[in-house]
Amino acid sequence: MTLLAELLSSQIVRTVLTGAAMLGAIAGMLGSFAVLRRQSLLGDALAHAALPGVCLGFLIAGGRDLGSIMAGAFFTGALAALVMMLITRATTLKTDAALGIVLSVFFAVGVVLLTHLQGMGGAASAGLSSFLFGQAAAILRSDLWMMGGVGLVALTLVLAFWKEIKLVSFDADFARAQGFPVTVLEAFLTVMVALAIVVGLQLVGVVLIVALLIAPAAAARQWTNSLGTMVVLSALIGAASGASGALISATTRGLATGPVVVLCASVAVLVSLMLAPGRGLIWQALAARRARAQIGERRILAAMQGLADAHDDARYPSEQGMLTAALGYAPDHQRFAALERRGLIRPVTHPPETTPHWELTPSGHHEAKATRADPRHRPEHPS
Amino acid sequence: MRDDTLHEPDQALHVEDLTVSYGETPALWDIDLDIPPGVMCAIVGPNGAGKSTLIKAALGLVRPIAGHVRFLGRPVNAMRGKIGYVPQRHSVDWDFPTCVRDVVEMGLYRALGWFRRPGRDARARAIAALAEVGMQDYADRQISQLSGGQQQRVFLARALVQDAPILILDEPLAGVDAATEAVIISLLKRLRDDGRTVIVVHHDLTTVQSYFDWLVMLNVRIIAQGPVAQVYTPENLRAAYGQHLAMIAVSSGASE
Repeated sequence: MTLLAELLSSQIVRTVLTGAAMLGAIAGMLGSFAVLRRQSLLGDALAHAALPGVCLGFLIAGGRDLGSIMAGAFFTGALAALVMMLITRATTLKTDAALGIVLSVFFAVGVVLLTHLQGMGGAASAGLSSFLFGQAAAILRSDLWMMGGVGLVALTLVLAFWKEIKLVSFDADFARAQGFPVTVLEAFLTVMVALAIVVGLQLVGVVLIVALLIAPAAAARQWTNSLGTMVVLSALIGAASGASGALISATTRGLATGPVVVLCASVAVLVSLMLAPGRGLIWQALAARRARAQIGERRILAAMQGLADAHDDARYPSEQGMLTAALGYAPDHQRFAALERRGLIRPVTHPPETTPHWELTPSGHHEAKATRADPRHRPEHPS
Repeated sequence: MRDDTLHEPDQALHVEDLTVSYGETPALWDIDLDIPPGVMCAIVGPNGAGKSTLIKAALGLVRPIAGHVRFLGRPVNAMRGKIGYVPQRHSVDWDFPTCVRDVVEMGLYRALGWFRRPGRDARARAIAALAEVGMQDYADRQISQLSGGQQQRVFLARALVQDAPILILDEPLAGVDAATEAVIISLLKRLRDDGRTVIVVHHDLTTVQSYFDWLVMLNVRIIAQGPVAQVYTPENLRAAYGQHLAMIAVSSGASE
């Protein structure tokens, strides 16, 4: 706690923390739509394509002027999106190939410009390489206002056009047939993603920023089946990743903020992929195990009832060996214990034999009959 | 472009000189088509004949090279609210985070207008539309849990909720079981009997005669169009499908 208080007493840490949290929230909100529209890699291409724009902005302004750098980044990002659209429309190349080409060409141009500018010397140009992986300490309080502004505009527009955005994300063809301006709405979503990238460049850098678009959305999707909840959750996960990443990197000298933020978001994804109820891997493995066990128990009941019918004795004592023969496999002991707990079978002795025997209880007969009538029925007394 | 004058207002769908091409190969070639109001019309043809392209071009989802389209005499942009569209169910991601009722309410978004959210009235109409397709118990179900036939019925409900005089359905019977097929067909017939026009892209020749009363046979060009009894002939089937398949279809249909 004292460490936290100490960290927060620093003006720089507070600025970085606020900036990272805001960026995470904006990227998380807009990233939800990008992920659902299967456009998350478009964000990656936009981000990489922003690098030449950063250098151009630097060249034109003749120094490290944030306004012109961001304008440049937005310009080349938009240009890249346009080129990608033209490539997929005019050639037989698919979207992934077009993305790959545009991303690497624009990034290569950016790196060439960057190294050239640095070769020319000048103290200011040295800082340009921080746009590759981000440099949180470079953030100024005035930058926070810009981030907040972008975030507020994005939030207002998403709320105002919520149902239209939802419809376009789910079924663009239907939206078009209903007369909605789908192209405008899609362009709006892409422009907002580009804006989020541009304001995040300083903090996280062009290489990693796509993770902030994808990771919170991917994590949030695991926990909910409602679009609204997903978007809110994604923004919260993004903000939490940003804040915790900023704090962690502030504790130790030489931990770059951007990559730490991305790692925090990745932890959220990993945890969600594993643990989320319904969709998480562990949850699904447990559910599959439960289902297997239950089916095993039903088959035992059915086999016991078969034996009882064959011997015309409702309380026929079944022995494990006979059940193995009837089922074609040796049933697990735990299944008998579970059936006993549920009151569907009871152990009986069958002298002079000493091996364990079981008989069906009346509710066991009932359950076996229900399973026989409909194998998909739900048991009345689940284990 | 102002278009106050009606062009062919007596036809539910009027298509003239329509040509559509993807790249160099024409998908539709010089289509002239008229579908009168109040019929239940099948559009049939072999794979790649341009059936889906035809309705997408009619709806303005695909840009034609030439030609024009009118619904009840008006261009499609003036008729958006009066046309219910059921796309192929594989055209969307059914893992999208939303529930059945939400999808059906999407059919009301246009009527609601900008900035207004669906409320209690929209909810009631969505439930009523779901009841028509026998899915009222699934209103709150997550859409990823639906079977193929249920997905198709939800899509149909989304078009029904619009209460549109013209319905256009793209392969609504593809991959659904016999029970769902019966539900969908009896519903579509009832809509036709109410005086609506139902246009269906269809793939199963053996059911054309029992389900539909109007038929368009397509293979890049129009092969034939008109009442089923006049159009469903061996010559036309041969022209559309080639020798072999036509014989099967005619022999199974002849028992009617």
